[in-house]
Formats: sequence, C-alpha cells, structure tokens
Amino acid sequence: MEEAKSASTAGGETLVEVENVEKSYARDRLRVEVLQGVDLRVDTGEFVALMGPSGSGKSTLLNLIAGIDSPTSGRVHIGGRDIGQLGESDLARWRHRHIGFIFQFYNLLPVLTAFENVELPLKLTRADRSLRRRKVQTALEVVGLADRIDHYPRQLSGGQEQRVAIARAIVTDPTLLLADEPTGDLDADSANAILDLLQELNRSFGKTIVMVTHDPLAAARAQRTVRLHKGQIVNAPQAVPAEAAGGEG
Amino acid sequence: MGKLVWRNLTRNRLRTALTVASVGLALFLLTFLGSLLDAIEGTETSSESRVVVRHAVSLTFDMPEAYGNRLTRLDQVQAVTPLTWFGGTYKDQRPANFFPRFGADPSTLFEVFDDYEISTADFQAWRDDRGGFIAGQELIDKQGWEMGERITVLGDIYPLDLELTLRGVFTRADAPSAERQIFFHRRYLEEGLGNPGTVGTYWLKLDSADAVPSVVRAAETMFESSDAPVRAETEEAFALSFLELLGNVRLLLGSIGLAVVVSILFITANTMAMAARDRVREVAVMRTLGFQRGHVTWLVLLEAILVGGLGAMVGAGLAVLSIGALRSGLEDALPLFGTLEASPTILGGALVLGLAIGLLSGIVPAWNASRVDIVGGLRRVT
Repeated sequence: MEEAKSASTAGGETLVEVENVEKSYARDRLRVEVLQGVDLRVDTGEFVALMGPSGSGKSTLLNLIAGIDSPTSGRVHIGGRDIGQLGESDLARWRHRHIGFIFQFYNLLPVLTAFENVELPLKLTRADRSLRRRKVQTALEVVGLADRIDHYPRQLSGGQEQRVAIARAIVTDPTLLLADEPTGDLDADSANAILDLLQELNRSFGKTIVMVTHDPLAAARAQRTVRLHKGQIVNAPQAVPAEAAGGEG
Repeated sequence: MGKLVWRNLTRNRLRTALTVASVGLALFLLTFLGSLLDAIEGTETSSESRVVVRHAVSLTFDMPEAYGNRLTRLDQVQAVTPLTWFGGTYKDQRPANFFPRFGADPSTLFEVFDDYEISTADFQAWRDDRGGFIAGQELIDKQGWEMGERITVLGDIYPLDLELTLRGVFTRADAPSAERQIFFHRRYLEEGLGNPGTVGTYWLKLDSADAVPSVVRAAETMFESSDAPVRAETEEAFALSFLELLGNVRLLLGSIGLAVVVSILFITANTMAMAARDRVREVAVMRTLGFQRGHVTWLVLLEAILVGGLGAMVGAGLAVLSIGALRSGLEDALPLFGTLEASPTILGGALVLGLAIGLLSGIVPAWNASRVDIVGGLRRVT
C-alpha cells in the first residue's frame, strides 16, 4: 500500500488505486470481458477524465471505484482501504461517507423537492434538522440553485436537475466525486455550466473527481485523461498541470 | 423517511386509492359480518340459564299444551312458561309499527323471565284482565301509549283479530331491546281459536347454565316418539334459528371472511410488487447514496403497512356508519339487533388485520427491492 501511495502520478497522496482489475459478465453462455488487467491511480485533489468509446468499460470501472459493483479479480483501494474486503452493510456505509455519485440522467427522486433530494443522504447521518437544513442550503448555493429548493424535479430544466444531483453528491462532503457522463444528457450551454461547476468543486473545494465522458471537450476540463479501449487502459496516465486544464474554468 | 413513504404512496393516487378501497371493502365486510354475528350471539335478552323448546320440524308447528306440565317435572327445571308468537299487523305494515306480540301465561311468565321487572299493581291488573296486555317501557314511549290504551292487532298467522287494553309496563334495565314487545293472555288467543290446546314455544328456567345440556337432552328424549317431537336449545341458539340463519353461521361467515382476506392479500401484494418494480432505479440510486438493504426493506414494508392501515380505517369507518344506519332501521323490525354495533374489539381486530394484510403483502416486494442489483437497477429505464 505504501508503495502504491508513493507511485502516485501527480506526486500527491494516492486516493484511488485500482490494481490489475478484471471484470467479466456471463451473458447467456458467453463470457464478456469488460475490463482486463486495469491499473489506475488517482491522487487526492485530482480531476481525472475516463474516456473511451461505448463498451470500453469506463462506466464499469467507475462503478467498481464507487463500490456498487465488484471486480472479478484484482483490487480497488480507496484512501488505502481495500473496498473488496467490506461486507454489504459496511460498503453501503463507506459509500455514504466517501463517495458522491453524479449520474448521467440525474436520478433525482421525482416525489421529493430539490431540497429533499439533497437532504436524502443526510438522513443517514445523525445531523439534526437545523444542521441538515444548513448543509442543504449551502450545497444548493454552491450549485447556484438556492432559489429552487421547493421545486420538484419535473419543474426543473435538465441542467438544473443535474445541479441538484451535484448538490446531493457533495452535501455529505465526500472524499471522492464520481461522475458518469454528467453532461451526456444536456445541451452545450448546460453542459458547460456543469463542467464549470465540477472544475470549481475541484479547484476551490479540493474535491477529487473521476469523470466518465466520451466528449473530448468535457475531458479537456480535467487535469488528466485516461483512455480505455476494449477494457484496457491504452495510454499511460499522465499528470497534467492543473492550470493547463480547462482554461475557461 | 416517513415523508418519502407517504410521497411514494401518493405518487400513483389511483392505484393507491383502488388498493386502499379493496382492503377497506374487505375489512368492512368482515367488520360488518363480525358485528352481526356478535349481535346475534350476544343478544342481550338472552339468558344462559333459559332453554327454549319448540316443535322439531319448524317454528311454524305448534306443540300440545300438555307438554308444559311434563317439562316442569324435568330435573333442574325451576319454571316453565308458554309463549305463542301471534304475528299480526298493528295499524299498518311499516317497520315502525312492528313489534313482537306473544301470547303468554301471566302466572308463570315472570318466573321464567325473572330478569324483567313489573310493578305488582300492573301485574295484577294484567292478570285479572283477559283482554289486557303489558308492553315494554321503550315500546310504550315510542308508540305514545297510555295506560288503558286500546289497540287492535289484525291476525295474519291466526284467523283472529286481537282487541287489547294496556294494563301494565315492564322493564329490563340491562336490555332495552327486550322492552320492544308485548305480552297478552295466551288463553284469550286459545279461546278465540276454539281452544285447540296448542303452544308455539315453551321457555324453561333452569337452576343454572350448567344444567342446559342435560335438560336439552332430556326434553328432546321425552317427546322423541310422540307425534310432535321437540327441539330444545338455548335462548341464544333459538335466536339464530328464529332468524333462519340455520347451520354453522360462524363457520360460514368465517369462511367468507377468510376468502375475502386472502384474495385482498394477493391483490395488495401484487400492487406492492408493481409499485416496487416501478422504483427499481430509485432503489438503486438510494443504495448508491449509501442506504442499506434494511432501509429499502422498511421503505416498502411501511408503505404496504400504510396501505393496509388506511384500508382498515376506511373499512372500519364504513362499518361504523352503515351499522349505525342499519341499527336504526332494523331495531323496530328485529329487536334482536338492538345491540348491533361495531365493538372496539371488532374495530381493533379490523385494524390489526389491515396492518397484517399490509405487512404480509409487503414482505416479498420488500425483500426483492432490498436485493436489487445496483448496477442493473441504474441501467433500468423507467
């Protein structure tokens, strides 16, 4: 583990370490190899884009890092912890504490308001109502939607829904933000605004972000791009100076 | 979490309303039938130490007058009195003017019905007037009769009209429904019919309730070889047969209730399964956010229990309303139903049953929801 930490690409502390991970699915009688011998390290405070064509395994890799899927072989360490060793309940608790997940299709609960959606993860904490309210309001202010707290998802635009989803992802102040095609369902302006927000979270709040995208413009906002092809990383992970990434930020 | 449960419950209002209504209807039926059964079985006028003897074939057949003396000689029988149902019409056919009219023997009536109260003066006045009758206080109040009131009851079962004079009032403090009837001299009826020497029913007052089985057996055995065999039964059982609810009423109602509850259980379970299936993706999102399987299980279970509980409240509410309406309409025609009410026990039972239906119907959907594969669920298009 110590060796892994010292081998971080950006020179900081390694937060995510994926070691020789393989993932395969049985589909009918066929065995589909989705990831083959993947190694990846992400340092604390990094903003990494995972790029690749459809079926390259980038979302699967993100799911493994999030602990919502498990590898067929290999290990995933987050903050030095092998999450494959965690049981079902511990893994759920770990996800709650350490992972903020942003989905392509927002996945807000339609029966809850923006406020209630963002508050949802806090229901798992011991925070009292007033503390929860403060945290939710702060998160919604960060994403610029403090004036939409009582709106239901159906009353929001796609870009606004994604902002609420981001607020939900950051409200517990997680160690790691994982975004699966966060701009994939948005028009160009909304997509830019979301990417601006992610960059802001990375730069101003020091959030470590791993973002899956197939959009080169979105990937350009990250400090580093990792390319996958047919389940394998095809380029050596290169650290990019933060100031060179996403200039319009 | 309660808010989420409630919002989930109300997101498809038509489906929820229909499910709640189906549970409510089933529990209404159960509550209603249960209350009806209680009213019949627990008829407040019944005494555990009274036995009714009637013709074995049917209530419409009379028995010989001579049976009275023989029944009096049975062990553990304190007193015997005849009662003959006259039927007839008072004023008109409206239920408000219907009340039981019995031909009775003043000398023994209150030995058997010792839980009825009548003043000595009233009793003597009635006893001494062959054309007199006594009525319950509640009936007198309702009809607005006064002492000396003359009434005419037109015969329908018997070819005889009764001209009667009110000579007394009786009460029964613990059973107001018993005060909705009149007693007149059976001898007056006998004379009017040409002294056929018949009696509709004999009522026996026993030493105690423990004596019922042996007296019933002895009475039936005594006349089994005669032209008019008898059937002896408790006052409560007689009430049931009187209402023509023959056979095992409890078993019948229980079977209906069970069938209804099981059907509703399946319907509710199917609805809950559909609701849970619709939300697989949301469950996967919640699991991604860190919610445990137990949280998901409780979300679905609580929703199902809420459906059952709401259904129970709807059913119990309907039962209370309809029983109230029915009682006011029935108590004149069928005084036995004077006690018809949805008791707290029955209403509580309905609520528990509703919650149990909810719980049972939610178990499988809740289990399935808690086992949702997160990645598969997130891919699900809703």
